[in-house]
Amino acid sequence: MKTLVVGLGNPILGDDGIGWRVAQKLQDTGKLPPGVDVVYLAVGGISLMESLVGYDKALIIDAINTNQVPVGTVSSFLLEDLASPSAGHLSSVHDTSLQNAMQIGHELNLKLPDEIIVISIEAMKIYDFSEELSTEVSAAIPEAMRITLELLSSHFLDSHE
Amino acid sequence: MQRISIDPVTRLEGHGKIDIFLDDEGNFANSYFQIPELRGFERFCVGRQVEEVPILTNRICGVCPEAHHMAGAKAVDAVYHVDPPRTAKMLRELLYMAFYCTDHTTHFYALAGPDYVMGPTAPVAERNILGVIHKVGLEIGGKVIQMRKYGHEVIEMIGGRKVHPCTSIPGGLTKGITEEQRQEIEKMGHWAVEFAQFSLQLLNEIVLGNKEYVDLILGDIYTHRTHYIGMVDENNKVNFYDGKVSVVDPEGTRLGKYAPNEYTDWIAERVEPWTYLKFPYLKKVGWKGFVDGKESGVYMATPLSRLNAADGMATPLAQAEYERFYSTLGGKPVHQRLAINWARLVELLYAAERWVELATDPEITSDNFRTIPTEKPTEGVGIVEAPRGTLTHHYTTDERGITTKVNLIVGTTNNYASLQMSTKKAAQNLIKKGTEVTEGILNMVEMAFRAYDPCFGCATHSLPGQMPLEVTIHDANGDPIQVLKQYC
Repeated sequence: MKTLVVGLGNPILGDDGIGWRVAQKLQDTGKLPPGVDVVYLAVGGISLMESLVGYDKALIIDAINTNQVPVGTVSSFLLEDLASPSAGHLSSVHDTSLQNAMQIGHELNLKLPDEIIVISIEAMKIYDFSEELSTEVSAAIPEAMRITLELLSSHFLDSHE
Repeated sequence: MQRISIDPVTRLEGHGKIDIFLDDEGNFANSYFQIPELRGFERFCVGRQVEEVPILTNRICGVCPEAHHMAGAKAVDAVYHVDPPRTAKMLRELLYMAFYCTDHTTHFYALAGPDYVMGPTAPVAERNILGVIHKVGLEIGGKVIQMRKYGHEVIEMIGGRKVHPCTSIPGGLTKGITEEQRQEIEKMGHWAVEFAQFSLQLLNEIVLGNKEYVDLILGDIYTHRTHYIGMVDENNKVNFYDGKVSVVDPEGTRLGKYAPNEYTDWIAERVEPWTYLKFPYLKKVGWKGFVDGKESGVYMATPLSRLNAADGMATPLAQAEYERFYSTLGGKPVHQRLAINWARLVELLYAAERWVELATDPEITSDNFRTIPTEKPTEGVGIVEAPRGTLTHHYTTDERGITTKVNLIVGTTNNYASLQMSTKKAAQNLIKKGTEVTEGILNMVEMAFRAYDPCFGCATHSLPGQMPLEVTIHDANGDPIQVLKQYC
């Protein structure tokens, strides 16, 4: 089984770099199970979907802005449980949402993961250029790593929190 | 005064917002297209080793990092007063052609396509790329994905990484390509030429074969008579990677051409109190407000502008399409903004043909892909044509090569005044007293700015990555009386 871990975000846009940071630290542990690849991406929509082609499972680690939980809160959920407010419409003037892109991929019979879990970290500053994470977000790295490693060792088994 | 607000907030490419104001009678009064840019990028690049900047700037935006990398690389060459060898220039351009094919394909099929294939007022649930695939066939969807895959493969071979290339350094590249890679790239290039021809054929059948769409394209709602700019080679043919920027007036007369280091003689920026972004205009013509015409310094930099500002295309198939474009639309220059979408496909064909030309050049596999800089760094400007318009990077350094000043004029910024005028005109024509502001009308206003493929500049991808659209109609007191929401 092939699993892809995606550290998603922009590493020079403050807390948006958290996905990269967690993925990088995970790789540094050397504890990743066999068959797991790690990539760092600053893309969305169609490009993100394309990078998942050929994998059975995927974990996407990214910053999130819900404004409903404290900054630094780590959550995990299935991609399909993430609201796709842009369904049927452009999510940006250049791209579509990942959910739409996944639908396109399925319609085109691309080999896409049957399970995609998003590990999100509630972020604070994502509109200011900086290579630094805010303290609260930085403090969430161990928890995000723990959840990711747990999911990887369970082969997901729908055991997301 | 009533107010209608179209607020496409997105975490993917920054966000823009359109405010439409109505008078007491319910007629259109004015509109403003605001772009709150991300803060501080140019400042963030100061104090760095200048060769880092092309790597940093390609993360301004997840949409066209290749363009920023190329403009940055050229600016750094200029800072070090070094001229890269022919092979290095060709490899960079080859990477860039592959990027253009990817980017223009995505825009045509995924973004502009739904309006034409499904119809501008088709229900939102159908007016999207999935609707397009269902209507024109799964096979075409597969080709779009294939085109993107090939583009990314070439970018990775030459640029070292998919999406965010990192191999351009002062004086050239960190590596060349092997003969095996060249053969593979050439094969993909031939496929890209066929795909581009197929795309133009599709446009002929679906858009140009439909009178309703042709009327929409040629209609006054989406027309502005402005100046145009675009990079050209020494024969005044369109070039995306190198050359001088040609400037033509609304009648198509060339006012001149400027080299990258002369851009400040030609372009000035206007500040308006209601938006963060500045409005560039032609300095030699002057700022006369948001108006059309020869006396107004407003200009546009898009695929259509590039065609208008040039004398033709440098490759044979694209040249034939260029001629057909102007003969169908009534001669040069073409002012109808929706024709940008057609111009984009003419450029797609050129990029594919140029891809093959470069891949078959005997020197493309040469080991001479870098000239080592020997002079002290000072100041330099690099210009390329990004898919969305002329992209200018200007860096100044101290004698150690540490940046002291960074100025960027990005593709969409060039078009800001023109975008403001286009959205205003569309809203003015479509929203009248007693008009119910339906989603279809809203989409037709959106089409006015979508044709430019505007980029609000960033690569933040924090979730949920949505672009909600909110239209709020306010009464004369500013109180909301009707709210139309899309996905927010």
